[in-house]
Amino acid sequence: MMKDFEYFSPKTVEEVLSLLSEHGGEAKIIAGGQSMLVVMRQGLLSPEYVVDIKGVSALDYMSYDEREGLRIGALTTHRVIEKSALIQEHFRVLSEMERNLATIQTRNWGTIGGNLCHGDPSGDPAPVLIALDAKLRLKSLSGERVVALEAFGKDMLEVDLEPGEILVEIQVPTPRPFTGVAHEKLMAVQGDAGIVGAAVSITLKPGDGVCEDARVVLSNAASVPLRVKEAEKRLIGKVLKEQLLVEAGEVASAVADPPGDIHGTAKYRREMLKVFVRRVGARALERAKGR
Amino acid sequence: MLMEGKIILRGSIEKVWERLLDAETLVSCIPGAEKIERIDEKTYDCVVKQKVGPISVKFKFKSVLTKTEPPRHLEIAGEGEDIAKAGHFVQKSIVDLRERGGGEVEVSYKSDVNIVGKLAMFGDRIMRAKAKKVEEEFTKALQERLEGIG
Repeated sequence: MMKDFEYFSPKTVEEVLSLLSEHGGEAKIIAGGQSMLVVMRQGLLSPEYVVDIKGVSALDYMSYDEREGLRIGALTTHRVIEKSALIQEHFRVLSEMERNLATIQTRNWGTIGGNLCHGDPSGDPAPVLIALDAKLRLKSLSGERVVALEAFGKDMLEVDLEPGEILVEIQVPTPRPFTGVAHEKLMAVQGDAGIVGAAVSITLKPGDGVCEDARVVLSNAASVPLRVKEAEKRLIGKVLKEQLLVEAGEVASAVADPPGDIHGTAKYRREMLKVFVRRVGARALERAKGR
Repeated sequence: MLMEGKIILRGSIEKVWERLLDAETLVSCIPGAEKIERIDEKTYDCVVKQKVGPISVKFKFKSVLTKTEPPRHLEIAGEGEDIAKAGHFVQKSIVDLRERGGGEVEVSYKSDVNIVGKLAMFGDRIMRAKAKKVEEEFTKALQERLEGIG
């Protein structure tokens, strides 16, 4: 059963920030509520004040320009990202990731910002956005700051948000030419949370096909979305062959510290991480080659 | 949910054993422990609070030493619930101490925890991750404690 709470529905970012500053740690933000309502219903979370920001329309937007990159307002829903022609043209991997995120009902109401702030390491958006080198714009009454998404996760369900601070925007730079990005997760039924997942970005040097940059990011492999630089090092500076992707998968699996649960033991997850890094890496490579 | 692990401590096996059963040491070394009281030779009364992100649970439980073979073998059974009624649990643990030479003692444990209620739905994925952290902090604190007493 849910405990009583006081409910606010501010319409502007300024109102949100002053409500948060007024009620301090007792206030909890709710956006789409697709993660938070679950724990509230279970009685595990019982905030005194709930600040519903779903009506802050100024945070529901997307824009793209080649120089500035992609800007996504924190309250943009998963479904809007999935269906956006702009995303499908320039950031296909985001649309593909969203298509496998939970159910249509959840995607229709759940927001990208809410998902990232929930800080669940099994979430899909964070690894893909980290592979895309995304940054987050955070705002509080005392000002704004921009943090790299890869440094945003602090622990299981904990992110780098100060009291009184909210996520307002996700910023994704335009990938360099000859960059391919892919994401896949292991699921028993489409829409399941990934038992494990991997997002890989590969940038090739024009001409000789040497890997100039790589990013390997895992979901459900640690207490936060896990970027594995050691695995990336296996790829950077080399002409990529299947064997190198196998090695990157082995390194990623060794670095990972996955949980074990009813869906899979830690050992099984480690094995699957090898498979997914190799498989997703191969797809990213194909895309980088323009195929 | 079966959890097992191993910690290595420096100190004599007798000292480690003694500290492991000492309520005052336990309350100061177990992260989130608010109360651990030995109410008789075999029974401890405990309140331990744990936090995962915005979610916190407070467990009130009794642990009973069902078998002790000092200083090497220990069996414990516990039962309790979350104060906010989010879940009820029973657990059985087996702890073995072994000298490794070089003044080190290996403490290995196997714990079978059964949780029912909303906490169980919340997922053992998160609870296991938390258990690992608690183990690390406990080991560190206990080690400091062992060194402190010489």
